[in-house]
Amino acid sequence: MKELIKYMAQALVDHPDQVEVSEIVGEQTSVIELRVAKDDLGKVIGKQGRTAKAMRTILSAASTKVRKRTVLEIIE
Amino acid sequence: MKDDRIEVEGKTIDEAITKACETFGVPREKLHIEILAEGTPGFFGLGSKKARIRAGLLKIDVTSIIDEGDGLPARPVPPPETDGSLTTQEGADALRAKEILEGILERMQIPCPVSVEENEEIIFLNIQGDGGGLLIGKKGQNLDALQHILNKAVHRGGNGGKMIVVDTETYRKRREEMLVNLAARLGEKVKKTQKAVTVGNMNAHERRIIHLALKNDTEVVTKSRGEGDLRKILIMPAKREKARERRSHNQEATAK
Repeated sequence: MKELIKYMAQALVDHPDQVEVSEIVGEQTSVIELRVAKDDLGKVIGKQGRTAKAMRTILSAASTKVRKRTVLEIIE
Repeated sequence: MKDDRIEVEGKTIDEAITKACETFGVPREKLHIEILAEGTPGFFGLGSKKARIRAGLLKIDVTSIIDEGDGLPARPVPPPETDGSLTTQEGADALRAKEILEGILERMQIPCPVSVEENEEIIFLNIQGDGGGLLIGKKGQNLDALQHILNKAVHRGGNGGKMIVVDTETYRKRREEMLVNLAARLGEKVKKTQKAVTVGNMNAHERRIIHLALKNDTEVVTKSRGEGDLRKILIMPAKREKARERRSHNQEATAK
């Protein structure tokens, strides 16, 4: 899951080297924290949060497959 | 050349002819072209019927034409494409889109091969194999999400470029057919009742399908109302019809 978010974020931003992803694994639910360069924040969030929403949708589709729940937090 | 004549498909007859020229490596004047089927443009290259032509070299001094290459840049003659794939040339964007999509799928643990087609308007990515509906999601939301990410990732500058469409299991085509049917049904309803109908819960692309489906219908007019997620499509009877009806209504009223 972590790799998935990292891959998508790196494809979206201008500074892929500054993308940091950490995963807090829980029994049922995991939280993925995404950090990007300040001027890339808008790119991962998108207009009206559309890009962030799209990433969450893909994340939850991938999680369903392994019967888990994963939450994406974008950290400012 | 043993392949004397080949059959070529294209979105339009012109495109098929261009492809035939490329295949033979000669300009159009040197080809004998027979039109087998005229294409009908679908929407965004989806649901369209391809144009088919049969092309062969004209018999006059065939060898000298091929030897000289006649104006076209020297290139290895590709095998005649009779399978009719839309791919004319795969641009850098198309390849990048395919690569990213495959990367995402792999990390979703749904590794599926992706085929890519490109025309003048869109880059069309088709996820092969069965994602078991997981790739489509409720109302196509997973497919739309993938598509959104890809558009953003490939056109990172934000200056647009060709729209990237992601599809699997012919979902987009099925959805389009469904929407065209819906549009036709609602159009009939509006004509019958002479009252406007609104349909909500659609994205821009789906609204566009409705608009286009009713574009040629002179008896109804379509409009979009509202903003953002609340934007709805409005199908109403054409004004002239309305005005005429009102006039006759008034005449009836005054007659009484």
